[in-house]
Amino acid sequence: MIEEGLPGAVVKLCRGLRERGLLVTTAHATDAVRALRELGLQSKSQVYFALRCVLTSAPEEFAIFDELFWQLFAVPKTAKNQRSEAPRDAPRDPEDRGEKGPASLSSFIDQAGGDGEPAEDEELPAASDQLSQGKKDFASFGDAELEEIERIARRLARKLAARPSRRWKAARRGARIDLRRTVRRSLGNGAEPLELCFRRKKPRKTRIVALCDVSGSMDLYSRFLLQFLYGLQGSVARVESFVFATDLRRITELLRERPYANALRGLSAQVTDWSGGTRIGACLAAFNADFEHLVDGRTVVVILSDGWDTGDPEQLGAELAVLKLRSRRVLWLNPLLGSPGYEPLTQGMQAALPHLSVFAPAHNLASLRALERHLLA
Amino acid sequence: MTEGIPQLLARLEREAYVADPAIATSVHLAMILEKPLLIEGPAGVGKTEIAKVLASMLQTELIRLQCYEGLDASTALYEWNYAKQLLHIRLQEKEGKSAAEAEAQIFSEPFLLKRPLLQAIAHAGRAPVLLVDEIDRSDEEFEAFLLEILSDFQVSVPELGTIKATQRPLVILTSNRSRELSDALRRRCLYLWIDHPSLEKELAIVRRKVPGAGEALTNQIVALAQHLRRLKLAKVPGVSETLDWAAALVALHASVLGPQLVAETLGCLIKDEGDLRKVRAEIEAGRLAGIGA
Repeated sequence: MIEEGLPGAVVKLCRGLRERGLLVTTAHATDAVRALRELGLQSKSQVYFALRCVLTSAPEEFAIFDELFWQLFAVPKTAKNQRSEAPRDAPRDPEDRGEKGPASLSSFIDQAGGDGEPAEDEELPAASDQLSQGKKDFASFGDAELEEIERIARRLARKLAARPSRRWKAARRGARIDLRRTVRRSLGNGAEPLELCFRRKKPRKTRIVALCDVSGSMDLYSRFLLQFLYGLQGSVARVESFVFATDLRRITELLRERPYANALRGLSAQVTDWSGGTRIGACLAAFNADFEHLVDGRTVVVILSDGWDTGDPEQLGAELAVLKLRSRRVLWLNPLLGSPGYEPLTQGMQAALPHLSVFAPAHNLASLRALERHLLA
Repeated sequence: MTEGIPQLLARLEREAYVADPAIATSVHLAMILEKPLLIEGPAGVGKTEIAKVLASMLQTELIRLQCYEGLDASTALYEWNYAKQLLHIRLQEKEGKSAAEAEAQIFSEPFLLKRPLLQAIAHAGRAPVLLVDEIDRSDEEFEAFLLEILSDFQVSVPELGTIKATQRPLVILTSNRSRELSDALRRRCLYLWIDHPSLEKELAIVRRKVPGAGEALTNQIVALAQHLRRLKLAKVPGVSETLDWAAALVALHASVLGPQLVAETLGCLIKDEGDLRKVRAEIEAGRLAGIGA
């Protein structure tokens, strides 16, 4: 019965997979039919393995594949039994890898028992009058999502470190022959260049200065963004990290602590105004005054904040203008930008916008991945 | 090709590779559809081993291209042997041959250094197995270049002309997922994900590979390895670590595992200091499968 409608079923499966976002082309469909013809159809599990091998290309896709496959190929009554015939080799938690775009960070927090609704409904703590002394216990966060954040950060850092600059340096092997050194070396062999010297492009190191808002309104996001900074910092790229709420604090050294749990312990011990109010302008002024030596024409400044500012918007604009002049680019990542209907209308955000090279969301894994593009530009 | 999956499984088994239906089906399809097979999975689950076993099973040569960052065409495909060319020119000068003659000579096959990709294409005789190992470590430009080679299996050397494969090599690519591979590459390949083995499969592997370890010891070793994988370790031990450990224990004439012995030989299994501390704590707390403190 299956034999008759096999090409039809395969095409249907392919269409279904394509609709769910898998990379399935006509060539795949042809290969799939060919594979089944060659293999014969002795058992359902064999058909399953063959089609999965041809039609998927990442373990995250197995769940979707399974679902559609068993819909199409199982006789409804025995579907359950057939399913048990299916392999148990699929990776444990395909969902964990965050390929599902819409899973926002706040929904992770939902599962952790937090309050899912981000800032907008939350009451905005007033600045300076109440430095909230509550020390957060970061060590209790979920892990699979955090791992993925770190993975993204590491990958990004590798890319940042490997970008070629316009300068050359000598290398054992490389793209071009270094004529000058080759000729010089050849003198010993009677001007016979037996040994070639090469040169290659020097890697250009992008420097990153990250300023992360840890005030109350950012509560739901800052822990994830910190993890991201932690991942970046553990790599080859040069990253300087700061947190701010009512005051600015340099945390580069604290994030150097390995493993992450230790870094978190240090952070919560030393940073005291977690979840207080925000004075972005004043904090940027402090940064410009004390740490201007960290920013030069190769530096990308990343500000992670929702722009809820209880300070002076004019000061914010002025300090950003200074930063913009000194740095290569200024990125502002705003977690709220991910929520539909959000418009950057707060006074702070309005003052900041003209001075930014990039204004982008940072509310889920997908947006962190997109960050790559901005940092490499 | 008339044989099916069961025959292939048996042949792999003869090569001491314990496969499962997913692996056998993928390998079989790679051979009959003549498409590259992309294998992903955690470290140490036997991705590279598949290529080696296949080469030995098919009685053909294994050509291996190890990828790394900065790998480029001249290292992967071909390069002219400059030193040899220069020496040759010097010798020729004495004989007074014309420049054109000399040039024709030094840009001929004896002066060509074949790197793995060209070796695989120019290979005479039985189609070889080409292993492109850890493709995720190379950079994206190289990936694009590799795609071009894999799509038509021919290379043109400007001085020599086009070299075309007489038989398509069987191509195996492995990746540890340290970066996403391009869609173009994924689309071109068959896909196989190998995860850490189940208890039964790992038992079968250890029995097959380290027969010297008795049944009791094998059971203990595998139970412990499986247990360790459930702890959140930074470097999860793969089957290859289990095998190393089993071999080490056999060399020490151990017949049964105790906390002392485990602590002494743990280095075979755990390769990270933080992990070591974690596992030692587990042992002291007597929480490790089958090992009383």
